[in-house]
Amino acid sequence: MKKFNIELAVGLFVFAGILCLGYLSVKLGKMEIVGGKGYEIYAIFSNSGGVKEGSNIVIAGVEVGRVKSIVLENYQARVAMSLPHEVKIQEDAIASIKTKGLVGEKYIEITPGGAEKFISPGGKIRETQPSVDLEELISKLVFEKI
Amino acid sequence: MRLSVITMNRIVIIQAFLFLSFTFGMVSPAFAGEPQDQLRQTTDKVLAILSDPVLKSQNKVKERRELILKVVDERFDWEEMARRSLARHWVQRTPEEKQEFTHLFKELLERVYMDKVEGYSWNKISYEGELIDGDYAAVKVKVFTAKDQTIQVEYRARKKGNHWLVYDFIVEGVGLVNNYRTQFNEIILKSSYQELIKRLKTKSTQN
Repeated sequence: MKKFNIELAVGLFVFAGILCLGYLSVKLGKMEIVGGKGYEIYAIFSNSGGVKEGSNIVIAGVEVGRVKSIVLENYQARVAMSLPHEVKIQEDAIASIKTKGLVGEKYIEITPGGAEKFISPGGKIRETQPSVDLEELISKLVFEKI
Repeated sequence: MRLSVITMNRIVIIQAFLFLSFTFGMVSPAFAGEPQDQLRQTTDKVLAILSDPVLKSQNKVKERRELILKVVDERFDWEEMARRSLARHWVQRTPEEKQEFTHLFKELLERVYMDKVEGYSWNKISYEGELIDGDYAAVKVKVFTAKDQTIQVEYRARKKGNHWLVYDFIVEGVGLVNNYRTQFNEIILKSSYQELIKRLKTKSTQN
């Protein structure tokens, strides 16, 4: 009887440990269980410039969502973004790919528009701006001088 | 023998089908080229004015500008551009304010871009294709300058009636509307809409 109790205690302890581990990995990995909260919209960029799954979606400097997936579609990047329900995006909003600092990580900035219509879940942000390739711009500047 | 006849028939049917789909496939891009064609017409007209030797003399500068503006007016939807640039603040404006703002915004763009249009030595313009999505279209253009540089420009147009009107353009990845939207928003949030109008007015009197 006593032996059984110890085994039960150890079992429970291990089980609790596994639960904690699961919780931690979900929290730290910023994963979403069962779809998460919010809705999804997408945008097509001619150059995604290295935005990754999990990259931030920013409005006015505030992180509001994350990039859910990036796939190649018709030789362009189709970026799916997940946003919370309370953040509504106008139809004429512009999504642009920006860099934190000069060489920092990439994120997507949405500049809200003025249209009365909002993009419905699964809808598309029509206006997009690709990532500006600084290297390319600098090289253009350099080669003009020569 | 009989079997081969059936397969032959099948091949003919498939070929006919492929041919049909190919011809229809060929028809649609020509039809879809509308926004690009219209944009090309406008650009050609502007280039014709720019290269007209009669209009090149110094005393004809004003006349030439007016001619260019008239051509550009037909293709650009200034109100839509102004609306998109003012974004959230557009809804709060009265109709008179909207009109005034559109006018000032158009003047601002004229000042900024007229010099560029006149100053560039446009060597060649190549049309790099277009994307049409319902009433919206994006036309990609490459401009070759005399220094052999290429500038990538993407026009965004919207269909109104039979015309595709430009409401935004993106030069080397930097969008016009997005640029002004950020700037105007900042000015309005920091001070007020009246301050923005004041600034636009002082700028227009400077030139």
